[in-house]
Amino acid sequence: MTENDLLLLNAYIDGELDPAHVLEFEQRLAEDRALADERARIEALRGAMRERLPRATASPELRRRVAALARPFAIDWGARRRGLGAMAASIAVAFAVGSAATYLAIRGDREEPELLVSSHMRALMASQPVEVASSDRHTVKPWFNGKLPQSPRVIDLAAQGFPLAGGRIDVISLTPAPTLVYRARQHVISLTALPVSLRSRGPIRPIDGYNVVEWTDGTLAYWAVSDLAAPELENFAKAFRAGDAEP
Amino acid sequence: MDRGDSKARFANVVIPHLDDAYSLARWVTGNRADAEDVVQEACLRAFRGIGGFTGGNGRAWVLTIVRNAAYDWLRKNRPPAVVHVDDLEAVERMRSADDAAPAPDNPEAALIARADEVKLEAAIASLPAIFRETLVLRDVQGLDYREIATITDVPIGTVMSRLARARRRVIEMLGAHG
Repeated sequence: MTENDLLLLNAYIDGELDPAHVLEFEQRLAEDRALADERARIEALRGAMRERLPRATASPELRRRVAALARPFAIDWGARRRGLGAMAASIAVAFAVGSAATYLAIRGDREEPELLVSSHMRALMASQPVEVASSDRHTVKPWFNGKLPQSPRVIDLAAQGFPLAGGRIDVISLTPAPTLVYRARQHVISLTALPVSLRSRGPIRPIDGYNVVEWTDGTLAYWAVSDLAAPELENFAKAFRAGDAEP
Repeated sequence: MDRGDSKARFANVVIPHLDDAYSLARWVTGNRADAEDVVQEACLRAFRGIGGFTGGNGRAWVLTIVRNAAYDWLRKNRPPAVVHVDDLEAVERMRSADDAAPAPDNPEAALIARADEVKLEAAIASLPAIFRETLVLRDVQGLDYREIATITDVPIGTVMSRLARARRRVIEMLGAHG
């Protein structure tokens, strides 16, 4: 029995073999004694697991603790978030000079663009703007998996002039958010995926010389921040939207 | 999404899968108290991330988060139990070499079918984490290959080989020590 036979046998038992191969495989099962014996062993194992292993159930205590998260009068994270968000914004005002502070005072609505630009600036000042450095999206995407509930779309845009540099996690309005880092010549682009609830409300003006572009695919709001010229950053956004995430 | 929506979605999407969440966490961590901590942490993450849930398979979404939280817990508390991404291929090759050995002549299916709960649990518990989770997701929790591939973030081919190898090893253990 080859390794491939074993894979096919398991897929057959699990009902995962496509119909075209099922008949063919059943014929082999009828002729190949070793394969049939292995089938009996696997079926026996599955039966034993089904019968003997009790289904674990969450204790009432755990159920109660989790349900408390969804009750109307549980801790209001939303209020905390707004409070801390305001605090973060006021710290930003305290440290910012000129335009950023002015925009905050004028706009007075959403703080996400400022927070994103702040994250981008801080990343540029660090020794590396990324926590995982790789131009391979198959390295970058799994890196997010251990850290966030969902990993973002990672698209290879090297052919369009925007090679992937890596990724990091930013925290925007108390929401940990995956950020992909691309390069465009000597410039760095930070592309952060946020829940659509954190999408922009109206046009975004440049902040401290950084251009900000936002779009949504209906699932996530994507925010790109860079000191690239606005039309170039728009081109990047277009290329990303047109990109295919599958290999 | 406002706060009320988040709560309603959390109640609809996450809470129905609490037993599955707990079951997976228990198999990965190996005990009840740690599994409860993992599930609670995972539920917090799910609650914060509910705005990013796109609809579709709620169970797979919840189990992905539980699995990630469980691995974070393993990394923190039992680093040797965690196989890093880079090592996966090496492990797979190692297992592959094991499998090349001829199967024992006489591990009777009847013997396996009679294996008691303690032996069965011990055999499954002794598998490396990535093989154990694949076997548990399939044969305890009843997920299909595609769902397991999504949750464990590997191609379906990898799910197939992990599952085949996990079953083979458990069969060997039950056959040898039966």
